[in-house]
Amino acid sequence: MKNFITIGVAAIFCMGGVVGCKKVDGPDGSSAGGDIAETAYPENVYWGDTHLHTSNSIDAFGFGVRLGPEAALRFARGEMVTATHGEKAQLARPLDFLVIADHSDGLGATRRLFEAPRAQIKDATLRRWHDMMHESPEGSIKVTAEIIDGAGKGTLPDALTDPKRRDANTRKVWTEHTEIVERYNEPGKFSAFMGFEYTLMPNGNNMHRVVIYRDGKERADQMLPFAFAQDDAAVEQLWDYMEAYQAKTGGKMLAIPHNSNISNGLMFEMTGPNGGPMTAEYARKRAAHEPIVEVTQIKGDSEAHPFLSPNDEFAGFGNEGWDFGNLTLQEKTTDDMQAGNYAREALKRGLAIEARTGVNPYKFGMIGSTDSHTALATADEDVFFGKHSGNEPNATRSITPQNLGTRDGRFGWHYLAGGYAAVWATANTREAIFDAMMRREVYATTGPRMQVRFFGGWDFASADLNGDWVKEGYARGVPMGGDLQASPKGAPVFIISALKDPEGANLDRVQIVKGWTDKNGRTREKIYNVVWSDMEKRPMAANGKLPDVGDTVNLAKASYSNSIGAPQLQSVWQDPEFNPDLKAFYYARVLEIPTPRWVLFDALRFGTKLTTNVKLKDQERAYTSPIWYNPKG
Amino acid sequence: MAIKARIRGCFKEPLVHFLLAGFAVFLFFLWRGESADPDSRKIKIDEAHVARLAAQFEQARARPPSAREIDGLIRDSIKEEIYYREALRLGLDMDDVIIRRRLRSKMEFLARSELENIRPNNDILQEILDENPAKYGDDPIVDFDQLYMGERQSETAIAALLENLNNTNYSDQNWRKLAQKIALPQSMENAAMGDIARKFGDDFALILSQQNRGEYAKWTGPVRSGFGLHLVRIQNVKIAKKPQLDDIRQRLENDWRAATAKQREAQAYQALLDAYDIRIEKP
Repeated sequence: MKNFITIGVAAIFCMGGVVGCKKVDGPDGSSAGGDIAETAYPENVYWGDTHLHTSNSIDAFGFGVRLGPEAALRFARGEMVTATHGEKAQLARPLDFLVIADHSDGLGATRRLFEAPRAQIKDATLRRWHDMMHESPEGSIKVTAEIIDGAGKGTLPDALTDPKRRDANTRKVWTEHTEIVERYNEPGKFSAFMGFEYTLMPNGNNMHRVVIYRDGKERADQMLPFAFAQDDAAVEQLWDYMEAYQAKTGGKMLAIPHNSNISNGLMFEMTGPNGGPMTAEYARKRAAHEPIVEVTQIKGDSEAHPFLSPNDEFAGFGNEGWDFGNLTLQEKTTDDMQAGNYAREALKRGLAIEARTGVNPYKFGMIGSTDSHTALATADEDVFFGKHSGNEPNATRSITPQNLGTRDGRFGWHYLAGGYAAVWATANTREAIFDAMMRREVYATTGPRMQVRFFGGWDFASADLNGDWVKEGYARGVPMGGDLQASPKGAPVFIISALKDPEGANLDRVQIVKGWTDKNGRTREKIYNVVWSDMEKRPMAANGKLPDVGDTVNLAKASYSNSIGAPQLQSVWQDPEFNPDLKAFYYARVLEIPTPRWVLFDALRFGTKLTTNVKLKDQERAYTSPIWYNPKG
Repeated sequence: MAIKARIRGCFKEPLVHFLLAGFAVFLFFLWRGESADPDSRKIKIDEAHVARLAAQFEQARARPPSAREIDGLIRDSIKEEIYYREALRLGLDMDDVIIRRRLRSKMEFLARSELENIRPNNDILQEILDENPAKYGDDPIVDFDQLYMGERQSETAIAALLENLNNTNYSDQNWRKLAQKIALPQSMENAAMGDIARKFGDDFALILSQQNRGEYAKWTGPVRSGFGLHLVRIQNVKIAKKPQLDDIRQRLENDWRAATAKQREAQAYQALLDAYDIRIEKP
């Protein structure tokens, strides 16, 4: 487990090729953040987790985690901490930023219920939960399952949902929390973000959003995180809240939907909130507040699904175990729901809605994160600490049902080790990283830290790769997340460059995924293999497919070899089937060679007997944010 | 038969245990000829206590209690106090897992508490800084060039290129053309070790940092990065500057607080542990 060894790698420094510097405003418009220089264009990619839960999350505490925000921040920053069940944990490479996103509903409630004097607990259910939590870890997990179930069904005790009592509790927990986050924010070295998760879950359909603040404690304390996510609440209420926050404090917020894969079609609907056609106003509101989507995390991958993309042989990554029911498995997923569950389909739907209303509600960039409930933001396959503290490393976690009370076929091994968010920002500060998210200059990875650049323009040529193509990319084109406007110059040209994770596996291939609406208004997609390893030995077939890259995974040792694949893949690619009249988007997907999954590391470490259907290896990957093409008019 | 069974059943009732135990305690004190401490059988409910009860009520019900409800709360409070004291007298807390765990976590919490409000003084922080120069110091700053040779390369080809580079007066533009293309900087100036490690991998940065001073300005290698083989030329290494307390005060305070919490907990336990005589007999 080489990754356990930490080499004292501090966060990045802004020096060297600083082209032009401007001062970054401090947390509250002052320059208290220090004199952190911003580069003229993003020179560094910053790695982070935008979705981490600690003991202040109602379910995380119930599942057993005893580590709070402070331990979470220390771990992300590279310090060694002791996980809830006693194992030492440390990141091989620290993160550059962290968003602690505890559930705003019942913020700190289970922890406080656990710590409360028993005599003060009047509600019979809460008192029963208090006792169960104190009795045993199993009791605590049962309480959590009951709470999630109750939240899904709307049957939580009033004491948890009554606004007045809730607010008093939340204020205490929130201000303590923001105090700690503020203490760990080190502009230039480590950005600690204020944030929370809004846990909207009608009938168990996942409509959750992580909300991130651009601001520090002074602003964040002026309003409480938005909660009270009852069944009949609309997502719009969250956006209204965000607008109210911005108006009141002068600060900024953005929201990140996640786990669309278990939303039973609700996350990316074609219709408006009440079933009618989506209006331009609604579409505009959504796009303004939700510039990015978390498409990969522990609870599966939401980029694509083979049902929707039958020609994409790589669409099935991280689908298994998640695609047959919603979050709580209260409701099965039917075929007609799948299109609203996946990001690629949403990007296509966005074009269709834009064609009708003039506004694209689903114009989003893509990131990965963990959604870990252990306070440990790790996405490494060989250091998987589990979805929650109930499944921190142990012999049976990979084969144990993990479906919140039911036994319908979600098992530990269906969990992914989690993803990370990569952000091309001009400095490692809250402000610069937040602004990069707003302009969608971000990409998702399923854990490895491959470095991916993606530029769109009209006059890029292969020769550009011999010079300073990054500078040219910004000067003559747009980076990932940007827009190409109609031009007389023919088809758009893209510079794509992917470097492997310096500590990780080689790359198999880079693909460009194109989506568009055809003349009849139907949404279409096509995947182009653009550049791959050993191109001479792996010729493209007439149908555009490539021979497999191979497989070096040694199942007996949970190892692989970089004897196949390439350390870098670069290309300048022009769309060969461009129609200037049709709206389109393009994003890059980068695949690694096959590597062992966390399940295999577990099996070797604990001698777990696995059934044959358990997936032991996979091809990890990155998804960039798209670049959109907009025809004139 | 039925009566016997009922009597036997009776003995399983907690209430019967309770009464029997109470009787036993009574007999014990009778035998020892002492009466129970009269002070331990005094209960005083003062104004502060009543105010606290009312506040708790208000927190739970979101309205103040009525006068009757206050009387009820007081009665309940007295009842709780009496049962609590008598339960302790009977040792009912001894075998209760919930109580034991709760008390343990209270003790641990006490050891850690109040830390949030304490600010360590400069001397303490300076000491932490001085004791961990490597941890808090900025990374060494390096100027270097690198020439990428791909994933694999024969030893003879490497040796030939090294010799060529060191014996030819290449212009800055021309040596760059000898490299294979990769999206990594061929030269970095003022690069922190951490930054180099991010881009090239930890092993590469480590080897760079261990380079002999005598080798500076010369092409050496090959050095293996996460991407393959590189020849490197270090131009200069600046020793990390010692950070000033004020630059990293917050970080030092964070680390002090985290370490102190752990330490206090351990110390508090050790102090208690020291007072115990512990024998362990394993089966």
